[in-house]
Amino acid sequence: STEVPPSCSSGCESCSEYNGCTKCRPRLFILLERSDIRQTGVCLATCPVGYYGIRNRDVNRCTQCKIENCADCFSRTFCAKCKEGLYSYSGRCYHSCPEGLTTVNATMEC
Amino acid sequence: GLCSLRVAGQGRSTPATCSPLCRCDEDGGADCSGKGLSTVPAGLSAFTYYLDLSMNNITELPANVFKNLPYLEELRLAGNDLVFIHPEALSGLYQLKVLMLQNNQLKTVPSAALKNLHALQSLRLDANHITVVPGDSFEGLQQLRHLWLDDNSLTEVPVGPLQHQGNLQALTLALNRITHIPDNAFANLSSLVVLHLHNNRIQEIGKNCFNGLDNLETLDLNFNNLKSFPEAIQTLPKLKELGFHSNNIAIIPEGAFHKNPLLRTVHLYDNPLSFVGRSAFQNLSDLHSLMLRGATLVQDFPSLTGTGNLESLTLTGTKIRAIPEDLCEDLSVLRTLDLSYNEIEELPSFQGCVSLQDVTVQHNRVQQIDRDTFQGLTSLRVLDLSRNQIKFIHRDAFLSLSALTNLDLSMNFLASVPTAGLNALNQLKLVGNPDMKNSLTAKSLPKLRSISVPYAYQCCAFMTCDSTHSSPESEEKRKDLGGDEEMERVPLVMHCSPSPGAFKPCAHLLGSWMIR
Repeated sequence: STEVPPSCSSGCESCSEYNGCTKCRPRLFILLERSDIRQTGVCLATCPVGYYGIRNRDVNRCTQCKIENCADCFSRTFCAKCKEGLYSYSGRCYHSCPEGLTTVNATMEC
Repeated sequence: GLCSLRVAGQGRSTPATCSPLCRCDEDGGADCSGKGLSTVPAGLSAFTYYLDLSMNNITELPANVFKNLPYLEELRLAGNDLVFIHPEALSGLYQLKVLMLQNNQLKTVPSAALKNLHALQSLRLDANHITVVPGDSFEGLQQLRHLWLDDNSLTEVPVGPLQHQGNLQALTLALNRITHIPDNAFANLSSLVVLHLHNNRIQEIGKNCFNGLDNLETLDLNFNNLKSFPEAIQTLPKLKELGFHSNNIAIIPEGAFHKNPLLRTVHLYDNPLSFVGRSAFQNLSDLHSLMLRGATLVQDFPSLTGTGNLESLTLTGTKIRAIPEDLCEDLSVLRTLDLSYNEIEELPSFQGCVSLQDVTVQHNRVQQIDRDTFQGLTSLRVLDLSRNQIKFIHRDAFLSLSALTNLDLSMNFLASVPTAGLNALNQLKLVGNPDMKNSLTAKSLPKLRSISVPYAYQCCAFMTCDSTHSSPESEEKRKDLGGDEEMERVPLVMHCSPSPGAFKPCAHLLGSWMIR
């Protein structure tokens, strides 16, 4: 990959013609966008909808949020915002609250 | 450009305004990100509920800069160069739920500015340079659910500022310089479900430091300097995910997790483990995977009674010599078993582990494989017994392995290998068995595609590509290959090594295979 040529996107420290950004500036998240077999790196301060950021010593990565019915993950195991119309409880999303719990419609929580 | 916004109840479309520097949508969203702005643009619609100012060059937020946006629910200021936020900068934002201030240059939590954000649920302060969290930092934030303080320069847990956060559910303090966790550090966080503390410098933690976290499910202590097992986890009855890999813990005590019956995953690899209490992993009925690597001094196989839902067990790099006979009584859903790099001399019957798909026992001292060792394992696909001292394999040992595709018996002391039952095998490794001199026959391995053998001449039986079509040449070739025995249809073997060649011919010289 090449040092910062003019074509690198914002927040990018080194990039390549084919894969876009290969290394982001410190503390930014790298998101790998896929089109067909090609992956293109993009540097972001906030991961897009459907992704959440994992920070580590060496690289910060946008990672797909795989919690069922979750619109915005805090982490792999905790949903910060459920999809429209669902209730959140302990970081998971429910069509109706688990037994023994009542709904709080103002905040869509159980 | 101008965008029209239908105001509820007025029936008339009011031409909402939008700054020329931004893109606005019809629902009240304004995207002004990455525009090189150094100040908050003016002219935004009063009904803006979502404002993205990320990745600009805004260094300060002056007083009342958002006072015309009373309906704002989400404000993104990530990736600017914010150094100062005026105490009145966010005044009037009574409906703000999400505030993103990550990736800026803040050295302290802007507590005065946050004071009146009574509806705020998510606050991101990660990737700043915060060294100080004033005592009143989060006082007004009664609805706070998610707080990011990771990747800052904190040297201690902000105990005071957090003590009134009874609604907080998710907190990350990862990637800071925290060295210890005092007792009752999170005492009032009764709603907390997730706590990340990874990548700090935590050496010791108080025995009662997690008191009060009655609903905590995920605790991440990975990449710290913990010298002893975090006994404080015993006050976490709802813990499901626990990580403390990459620390300096030498001992996992007896009954280590007996107060955490709901545990599903425990990550504790990359610790200089020397002792693991035999009862440490008992009665963890929700535990799905257990990975113990490099516990070099451990000699006893940990008891797994009551831990019946284990799907993956990795126990490598120990001094364990024997596996309990009853191991598989409790492990009917175990799918992968890795017992490599131990000192195991004898294998029990794995018969009860009916779901096993992948077994690795490489690099041990196993000497023989009995008839019932792998009996009944009809789902087994990969079996690695390489680098042992196996001299004998019972002829029916593989009889029920109808799904086995990969078998590695390399680097043992075998003279022969039974093939009964290996109808699905497509990769077989036998290299490094010097006593295995006889020719192998391909006919009992119909699906074989790759084989490695001790001697090149043994490949001859597998190398005739067009041997399935009888033609004069192939008949001639068949005789040359010393085909005394009747050579039946030989499957197409894609790869055999070491392959015969000029100096490792198929045909034997002077009547003896031995002369090469």
